[in-house]
Amino acid sequence: MIKKIIVFLLLTIISFAADATVEIVKKIDVLPKIAIQDASPNNIDTEFRKSFFKLLAGDLRVSSHFRVEDEYLRSSYEGGPIENFLSDKKVDLILRFSLDQNLNSAAANVKLINARTGVTSFEKAYNLPDKKRYPFLAHKISVDINDQIGAPSISWMEQSVVFAKYTEAKKSDIIIADYTLSYQKTMVTGGLNIFPKWSSKEQSAFYYTSYSGVEPTIYKLDMRDGSRKSIISGPGMIVCSDVSQDGNKLLLTMAPKDQTDIFLYDVRTRKIEKITDYSGIDVNGNFIDNDKRIVFISDRLGYPNVFAQNLNDKNVEQMVYHGKNNNSASAFDNYIVYSSREGKSEFGGSTFNLYLISTKTDNLRQLTATGENLYPRFSKDPDTIMFIKQYQNQSSLGIIRLNANKTYHFALKTGKLQSIDW
Amino acid sequence: MSKLALTSLAVAVLVLTGCSQKSPEVDMTKGTGDTKGTGVNDGMSALQKLIASLEANSKVIYFDFDKFNIRKDQQANIDANAALFNSSEAKGFSIKVEGNCDEFGTDEYNYALGLKRAKSVKDGLVAKGMNADRVTVVSYGESNPTCTDKNKACWDKNRRAEFKVLP
Repeated sequence: MIKKIIVFLLLTIISFAADATVEIVKKIDVLPKIAIQDASPNNIDTEFRKSFFKLLAGDLRVSSHFRVEDEYLRSSYEGGPIENFLSDKKVDLILRFSLDQNLNSAAANVKLINARTGVTSFEKAYNLPDKKRYPFLAHKISVDINDQIGAPSISWMEQSVVFAKYTEAKKSDIIIADYTLSYQKTMVTGGLNIFPKWSSKEQSAFYYTSYSGVEPTIYKLDMRDGSRKSIISGPGMIVCSDVSQDGNKLLLTMAPKDQTDIFLYDVRTRKIEKITDYSGIDVNGNFIDNDKRIVFISDRLGYPNVFAQNLNDKNVEQMVYHGKNNNSASAFDNYIVYSSREGKSEFGGSTFNLYLISTKTDNLRQLTATGENLYPRFSKDPDTIMFIKQYQNQSSLGIIRLNANKTYHFALKTGKLQSIDW
Repeated sequence: MSKLALTSLAVAVLVLTGCSQKSPEVDMTKGTGDTKGTGVNDGMSALQKLIASLEANSKVIYFDFDKFNIRKDQQANIDANAALFNSSEAKGFSIKVEGNCDEFGTDEYNYALGLKRAKSVKDGLVAKGMNADRVTVVSYGESNPTCTDKNKACWDKNRRAEFKVLP
């Protein structure tokens, strides 16, 4: 029965996923219902067990592939005739976890039980070397459980987010985190450190801009050994906007003659090539089409908008014909997501909304409605977009699940998000 | 020999415990880059006072929302700054123009907008007789607000260029 449900669900997702700009308005209520049981030993702190439960429940909800039973349930690890079926809850699946007491690692044993038959269909022991990384342990478990039901992968949940946050005037720290901001570790502090960008898919190092020296400088921080290397400096401003898939080329926004343009920097040869050539503002270059073309923001029409250009010629193509201030963009295959200022006014709470377009069709899909929604970044899969949300005085990390048409926010407790990458 | 062995063991323990820390935090204020000397007390304090006085007497230049051109009502301030920085007391210094933005919009565009504002001010100063080689520009985007209230008066104040005098 469950397999039939899953196949039906997958067929539905696949048929709509053909064009992510088509908004799905009819909900199909056949998602498997899952309950989560805590089978951890009693001497593990109760609050810790409950927060782990909440992380798992949150992940499964954000995946949009499950209906999640909200109640916090306990069980022994082997369970029994009641715990292995939970007949009164009418669930299809039971996720049972038992946290380990090890002080030096984040570890758990996990079972996935078919609640119709009481049979354990999946069981695994997990161990991450750093106890503080328990949110990543929860995400890893959720990714595996999601894989077990054959749903589209949510492996993006295991990706680390790197972000800069303003702490006070001219001061910004760089922090790595999980997507819920439950885990946070400050990697760079002291002065103004901004625009972090992962240097590769492995996420073992990142580039960032520091204002600590005579000129703004891009550094690379290798998290494996803590080493920091200066890459390139420039007057005025310098930002690493994107990194090629092989990690060998960077798109930089630089102003060597007080004039911002986009440059291509080869990490191996240290050769710099000027890509855009306009006397106004050209920023926020992103690689597309196998790193042969870029999407970027320019005010060459008198207002910020989204353009594309091949790396080997100067022909520029306008990509967006909507909005009068489109100030940030991210691209994946033929999709572009951008942030657009709504309305002309100077204030009273300017609204910035995210829009998704396909370069192959005329469809335009509005993704947000209120507040300032800025800095969109596609995940490694095109179904998930991360962005910064500022609403009144609250700064949050936003996650949009495109196929499910749902948005989730994770608030930053102190400071203001400056930029993000994952 | 036993003392030597104990000392070596102690050193080894210290080194190993030091090395066991993974992914240490980097503090950019303790960087390995250039450091500024503290200078000689008497001479430097007079210099610092002069620099502070010049900076205090310079006029902040304000900008309209999303714009980087010099407004007509700001031109008098550009003229006053050019006269100040070309005065005999200030002639020997370099001037850094810092461009800033209000809190709206994505920061990468705002850093570029802040730089355009600083560049407009630089061009205005050069047009009034300042040597372009004396003036550098830098952008602080949204990072350097003078106020954080959520109202128009505050947002207006943050869209600005201001000056640092460099020895």
